[in-house]
Amino acid sequence: MTVVIPLLACALGALLSILLALTPARRLPAPALGWLIAPAPALAFAALLALSPQVLAGETLTWRIAWMPTLGLNATLTLDGLSLLFGLLVSGIGALVTIYAGYYFSGHEGSSEARFFVFLTLFMTAMLGLVLAGDVITLFVFWEGTSLTSFLLVGYKFKDEAARQAAFRALFITGGGGIALLAGLVLLMVLSGSAEFGAILAQGTQLRAHWLYPVVVGLIALGAFTKSAQFPAHFWLPGAMSAPTPASAYLHSATMVKAGVYLLARLNPALGYTDLWFWLLSVVGLTTMLVGAYIGFKQNDLKALLAYSTVSQLGALIAMIGQDTEIAFKALTVSLTAHALYKSALFLVTGIVDHETGTRDLQQLGGLWRAMPFTFAVAGLAALSMAGLPPLFGFLAKETQLATITHPSVPPAASAIFTAIVVVAGALVLAQAGLIVLDGFLGAPRRKHHAHEAPTPMWMAPALPALGSLVIGLLPEPEWLATLLARAASAASGAKVKVSLALWTGINIPLVLSAVAVLAGSTLLWTRQRVRPQLAQATGNWQLEPIYRAVLRGIDGLAWLTTRVQNGQLRLYLAVMLVSLIVMVVGVGRLPLPALALPSLALNAGALLRLVLLALTTGAALASVLLRRDLFAILALAASGLSIAGLMLLEPAPDIALVQVVVEVLTAVVLVLVLTRLPASQRARAAEFTFRQSRFGLLRDALLALGTSAVVFVLVFNALSTRPRTSQLTPFFEQNAKPLTSANDIVGAIIIDFRGLDTLIEIAVFSAAGMAIYVLLRYASRKAGDREDEPAPRYALQRLCGVGDMCLSPMLRVLARFMLPLTMVLGVSHILLGHDQPGDGFTAGVIIALGVASWYVVYGYAETKRRLTWLKASVLIGVGLGIAVINGMIAAWVNGAFLSPVDFGRWLGISAFLPKGVYLSTATLYELAICLTVLGSAVLMLDTLGRPRDADTETEAQLAAIAQLRASGAVTLPEEPQAQQQGNKER
Amino acid sequence: MMDLLTALAISALFGVGVFQMLRRNLIRSAIGLAILSNAINLFLLAAGAYRGEVAAYANLAGQRSDALPQALVLTAIVISMGGFALILAMLYVLSVRYKTSDSDEVKGLRH
Repeated sequence: MTVVIPLLACALGALLSILLALTPARRLPAPALGWLIAPAPALAFAALLALSPQVLAGETLTWRIAWMPTLGLNATLTLDGLSLLFGLLVSGIGALVTIYAGYYFSGHEGSSEARFFVFLTLFMTAMLGLVLAGDVITLFVFWEGTSLTSFLLVGYKFKDEAARQAAFRALFITGGGGIALLAGLVLLMVLSGSAEFGAILAQGTQLRAHWLYPVVVGLIALGAFTKSAQFPAHFWLPGAMSAPTPASAYLHSATMVKAGVYLLARLNPALGYTDLWFWLLSVVGLTTMLVGAYIGFKQNDLKALLAYSTVSQLGALIAMIGQDTEIAFKALTVSLTAHALYKSALFLVTGIVDHETGTRDLQQLGGLWRAMPFTFAVAGLAALSMAGLPPLFGFLAKETQLATITHPSVPPAASAIFTAIVVVAGALVLAQAGLIVLDGFLGAPRRKHHAHEAPTPMWMAPALPALGSLVIGLLPEPEWLATLLARAASAASGAKVKVSLALWTGINIPLVLSAVAVLAGSTLLWTRQRVRPQLAQATGNWQLEPIYRAVLRGIDGLAWLTTRVQNGQLRLYLAVMLVSLIVMVVGVGRLPLPALALPSLALNAGALLRLVLLALTTGAALASVLLRRDLFAILALAASGLSIAGLMLLEPAPDIALVQVVVEVLTAVVLVLVLTRLPASQRARAAEFTFRQSRFGLLRDALLALGTSAVVFVLVFNALSTRPRTSQLTPFFEQNAKPLTSANDIVGAIIIDFRGLDTLIEIAVFSAAGMAIYVLLRYASRKAGDREDEPAPRYALQRLCGVGDMCLSPMLRVLARFMLPLTMVLGVSHILLGHDQPGDGFTAGVIIALGVASWYVVYGYAETKRRLTWLKASVLIGVGLGIAVINGMIAAWVNGAFLSPVDFGRWLGISAFLPKGVYLSTATLYELAICLTVLGSAVLMLDTLGRPRDADTETEAQLAAIAQLRASGAVTLPEEPQAQQQGNKER
Repeated sequence: MMDLLTALAISALFGVGVFQMLRRNLIRSAIGLAILSNAINLFLLAAGAYRGEVAAYANLAGQRSDALPQALVLTAIVISMGGFALILAMLYVLSVRYKTSDSDEVKGLRH
């Protein structure tokens, strides 16, 4: 339980900073924000300290919540030595950086910097979660969290093009590594059968013996190397220095870049102790160490210099993990701590220098010690530690590194080269540390600047870790720290590691090598004025940036290729899908062709009728292809659908036959409505293309259709001839329909009662479709230039004409007027009797909608709107859905189950007075609700699809007709059409 | 026997629907879609375990038809109607925005 407290403290800090950023509190001065938020990481630090005695005693604390228990997955946090060491660094330096950041931003006038604290605390939480994670999934989630939040921090100055590019680059590299890592971790999980580190680490022997072991190592190392900026993926780190300095100090010295180191150390007991591990980590790590130190020495920008020296040290840490000797793990933990202390101090000092002088360029700085003595003292201490000079902690780090690399276990062939690399890199890093002090703070100022000492809390932030470097070095044997480092080293090694922090261990090879490095470094430093320009010239400015850019260009090229392939021709897409379907079913599915032995053709009347209907529906569908006029094709479609209704009747399935009939008619009506809204010229052109297709195109389409048809035939025939002939579920419904729901209609009982919730969702979807159409067409008509919400155009001429300006006989108009009330009576009877007889709420709704549709067809849009003002689609939908939900809730209140049946009639004692087959129950109410919802949506569809555009309502010929009628005095118009026409033209 | 004929009819409907969907005329494509959903509904219905002599009513005696696929088909019919109307609305939007009902002229969709 307790392990979660530090993480919670950090998360609360993130929450607090978000709240601060969202409220007027964001206008607080930045230092105040810093002080307000810093207690959160400080609390995390304190909580970790409070937990440390248990960990130092050798315990591993675990906290676990079930996440997906069925898969055996938990979200786990563990705290052992390694996690504790990293956790203390993350939260401790985090608290310092938060306070520091407040002062760093205090000079920036104008914009509020609350945003920075949000990103910083979010990052802190992710980072702490990463090092506390007890299983690979949790670790990965937090790992990606650090990538994302660091993206935000690196790109913090988002108005700066370079910062945006650097942020993208960092995300691209670490995110790409993250994908590899995910694959590696999942493999690890599969191979070891557990997601938790405890179980994974116990399986080391089996893992190493598995043939997939190299793949796992490769993938995980890729993730770790990209995150920890190892060569050749190191180049994102210096670019990431475009982050505000507090973020750089935190992310790119103490925390995020060490995530890769942490991961490799964490998994070392399982994956380490092999030749592959040794060579991979040693070669990559040491190369990075040398390259980073070398490039770093050439830098003039303080931050870039520190960034490259960080790259170098990260390389050293990775190489240490690869050695797998006891001294190596001591070197790992000592170097890690020493580096975090001095590097964060130096970064923060750089921020101060930048803040006070406005530059970080070594060629412009100098002589700062007079103006900012405290900062100078801090920088001096930290630089001494970085240089690896006694009595600072950094000295011990370098000594142990040298001792590791000269350990007899290193193969003799590699030993000399490895040692040389570490010595050379050590000399170069010492020279870099010297550059900071000599060129930055000592000497004569090379440029006038009015620097003065930073506010006390600002220089105190780096002073604490810098002093830490000194105190640890001076103290004879800090027991607590030694135990902590020993625990951390043991966790990384898998075996017990002893750590003593004594600086003086007698004269031995590492000490001699160290002296050589110091001498070489000092010589470099002494001759820096000559050597550095020469180096810069000799090797030029070779970088990996061009390669990275080439890769990006390649990806862009692929994207271009995609747009070529995806040419936007919808028919092509469909064809590709169909061909894939055919290939998949034929090639992969290996469906057995069913035996086509024709059984006896015993045709009774029913079978014959069925046969005729099957032929009819197919024939009508075929006719819809061949008929040239779209209207006829639609009618053929309706005929095909109605034949299917006939087949349903033969099943016998009267309920769905009814629905099929009314829905088919509604479909046809809606299709016709859309057809009338498409301009005639468009339709003519499309029809021409359709029927003047090239022979080749026709053949291709026919082949596709035939192929699909054949595949479907095989599938369907297989399914039908092998289907079980007894039903598991139907007997239940048949037996319980009457007793449980008092319905004779079993289909209705399933729809309304047994699967009532499905039906609720279904009417919600149907009304969503109606509303989506409404939104789509309103949007479209706005695009087309129609005015929104304008009253429907009212012209005298339209009173006589229906849809598509077809003038209909008065007979039809009278019929339509009677039709609507008639459909309502029909609908009500369906609702009342639906439970016992064919028909239900859907049918009722669609039937009434058809009555309304007949009005649209006969009277035209405007007139229908004018007469049926009471028909408000949105109200119908709302009331319908409302009744459905309330009805379900009443049932829940009475019976304790949502949408369960309740017979109100019996309850009220009036069921005896009701006609036979009529109940007053929740089912009746539900049918009513379904009817209203379906009616509302259908009316919405009719209304939006049937609404003519202004441009369509009048043609020139019509206008002429109106003018003629007016002149003859036959019609008087309600308003001046000429003015309106003028308005239309202007739009 | 009936299974074979039903399968033939369903696959024929499917083929016709696919052919219609491959037309350039978007109205024809919409008709094709409607035919496809009819074919699928027919298949769902035919997949019922057994055929009855009387409809699935509790008060009717004799072998009742299988009620379960009927309930599924009922839902499917209504939902496919909703989806179909939505497709038609899109077709209209295309006609307004691209001034065409020819699917080959509607290429701006990939942007």
